[in-house]
Amino acid sequence: MSKPKLEIVALRKVYDNGAVVAVDNIDLTVFAGETIALLGSSGCGKSTTLNMIVGMEQPTSGDIHVDGKSILNIPPGKRNIGLVFQDYAVFTSMTVYKNLAFGLEVRKKPRSQIRKAVHDVAELLGLSERLSTSARELGGSELQRVAIGRTLVTQPDILLLDEPLSNLEAESRLAMRKELRRLQQEIGLTIIYVTHDQVEALSLADRIAVMNAGKIIQAERTSKICQHPGHVFVAGFLGSPPMNLFQGRFRLQDGNFLFEHNDFSLRLSSAWSRESMPNGWVILGVSPERLGLVPREKAQVSGVVSRVEPRGPERVVTVIVGGQVINVLTSTAATPPLVGDSIGIVFDPEEFHVFNADSNLRIELPEAKVNHGEPANRTRL
Amino acid sequence: MTEPKKLTPLQVVILLVALILSLFPIFWIVMTAIKPPTDWNASPAIWIPSEPTMINFRTLFDPDAIRAYGVGGVSQAATSAVIGSIIASVTATFISVTIGLFSAIGISRYAKNSKWTPLIILSGRMFIPAAIAVPFVIIFSNIGLTDTYTGLIAIYVAITLPFSTWMLKSFVDDLPREIEEAAMIDGRSRLMAHLTVTIPLIKGGLFATTMFIFILNWSEFLFALVLSYSNINTIPVQLAKYVTATAGTLYGVQAALAVLAMLPLIIIGFYIQGHLARGMTFGAIKQ
Repeated sequence: MSKPKLEIVALRKVYDNGAVVAVDNIDLTVFAGETIALLGSSGCGKSTTLNMIVGMEQPTSGDIHVDGKSILNIPPGKRNIGLVFQDYAVFTSMTVYKNLAFGLEVRKKPRSQIRKAVHDVAELLGLSERLSTSARELGGSELQRVAIGRTLVTQPDILLLDEPLSNLEAESRLAMRKELRRLQQEIGLTIIYVTHDQVEALSLADRIAVMNAGKIIQAERTSKICQHPGHVFVAGFLGSPPMNLFQGRFRLQDGNFLFEHNDFSLRLSSAWSRESMPNGWVILGVSPERLGLVPREKAQVSGVVSRVEPRGPERVVTVIVGGQVINVLTSTAATPPLVGDSIGIVFDPEEFHVFNADSNLRIELPEAKVNHGEPANRTRL
Repeated sequence: MTEPKKLTPLQVVILLVALILSLFPIFWIVMTAIKPPTDWNASPAIWIPSEPTMINFRTLFDPDAIRAYGVGGVSQAATSAVIGSIIASVTATFISVTIGLFSAIGISRYAKNSKWTPLIILSGRMFIPAAIAVPFVIIFSNIGLTDTYTGLIAIYVAITLPFSTWMLKSFVDDLPREIEEAAMIDGRSRLMAHLTVTIPLIKGGLFATTMFIFILNWSEFLFALVLSYSNINTIPVQLAKYVTATAGTLYGVQAALAVLAMLPLIIIGFYIQGHLARGMTFGAIKQ
């Protein structure tokens, strides 16, 4: 693994004399050449974290190191960290060329060097034809490219991207995502990418740090975080629709291992043992795509369909089981159930996640399986 | 694109009446300015002079010119008033807008604004001008600022600064902070970020505010009247002087000076009409 480029140590930011905690004691290491996404909903502290890294905000406590040295006392313009804002922050009173050259002119670089750097970046971003155009005349994705280019031209050590695609239309967003991925591969920069869009995070980041209420809940490799959420919040945040979460407890009854929820019970497979079964209240997580719909008489768990939402090649069927809402992702190839239908749900025995209900942390279980009394294939209606 | 709304006949009539009421004083002043003295207050009134003359305009700069019509009593040319108005208005506008610009950036970006901020900034404009004129005259006579351009400019700056600050603040407020932050991240100091990025981006608002403050100063009458004796003069004060014991009110000459005084305002107003509408709301769009 490459060496740490950026280290955030116990970083905290409070406002109004502590009444508002924006960032709550976070630790994060970003490695050289890595792209990490800070993923979370609005107000979770992502942008405040970026602002502290770039120097626009001073932390209340904690430290930030770049290449092992604290940068807290270095002014924003001297940290050599680039930030691309959500609202582009392009200088509309200038041409594209002047925008791209701005950072180098401030650094008093020779004119020939500025010209070369601007043309190189313009070519990289497909802006060569637009250099003499006033930034006022540019469209959304062009403005975003100028904003990125203005940062890249200064060759920052670390590039921070604050929801850079959120103001773009779907088509432009997709194109820019591809472009960012290409830039990432070509330049090999260390990138921190802030977003609330998990598709963006999953498609661009090597690692994802999920944030909530100012804390980093889990930082994990992108390939692993969805399959192996380490916290209930992450399980309930990632995925569309996210994982179904059922609070209950495991117990042994008449020689059978059961998961008991207020509204239903699931018999577990014989792979379970008393040792592997956690004590106390737990939260069981099951992904919607790991559930199947069957006629109610064939399932241990049944309920009433409350909503059927088509999503391209799939549909989300919401089933109410007692007081519990369960989302099931099914293929549109099958005949859709109707709202009000009584229907059974089968669980894939290979895939479920258990979390401690007190700490909300994942409990690692050896080869756990759910026995629903029926063959384990994903029967579809 | 939506079709323009069609007006009802009643609305057309109301608009026409409003238009006539608005334009009639201007029409009357322009007509009076080109009337010979015999037509100034003829009865019945002469709407359009049969023999238009420029004598009133000539009298502004040559007080004796009007004697050709047997009218006397104009003792002072308007030249000093025009120059005085230019000196006081241009200087006071420059100072007011400069201070207002930096105040606006400071209040918009660095001050913790409360719901009282607008009141605090604009409170100076809530007094009746006559109420603050008397203390100013007393203070200024004690420190030797009456009848000086310095005193007049100081008071013009004092009374227009709330306007310039508030108008410019609304323009700065509309500009995303990230613009300046981007400049600072690129290496600019705070001051340079404002000078090279903020100010160029609000130049439309800056222009509108400058013109608006200039209009306020150019047409100010009360303070110029109470602070001027013999050394300084402005157009509004000179207009009041065209009432003489021998000839009565010199309506034609007065109208000629009014037309001259209006010209720069009309030209400026034409160019900034779009911005003026915005400026007149005083930040009502966004506090």
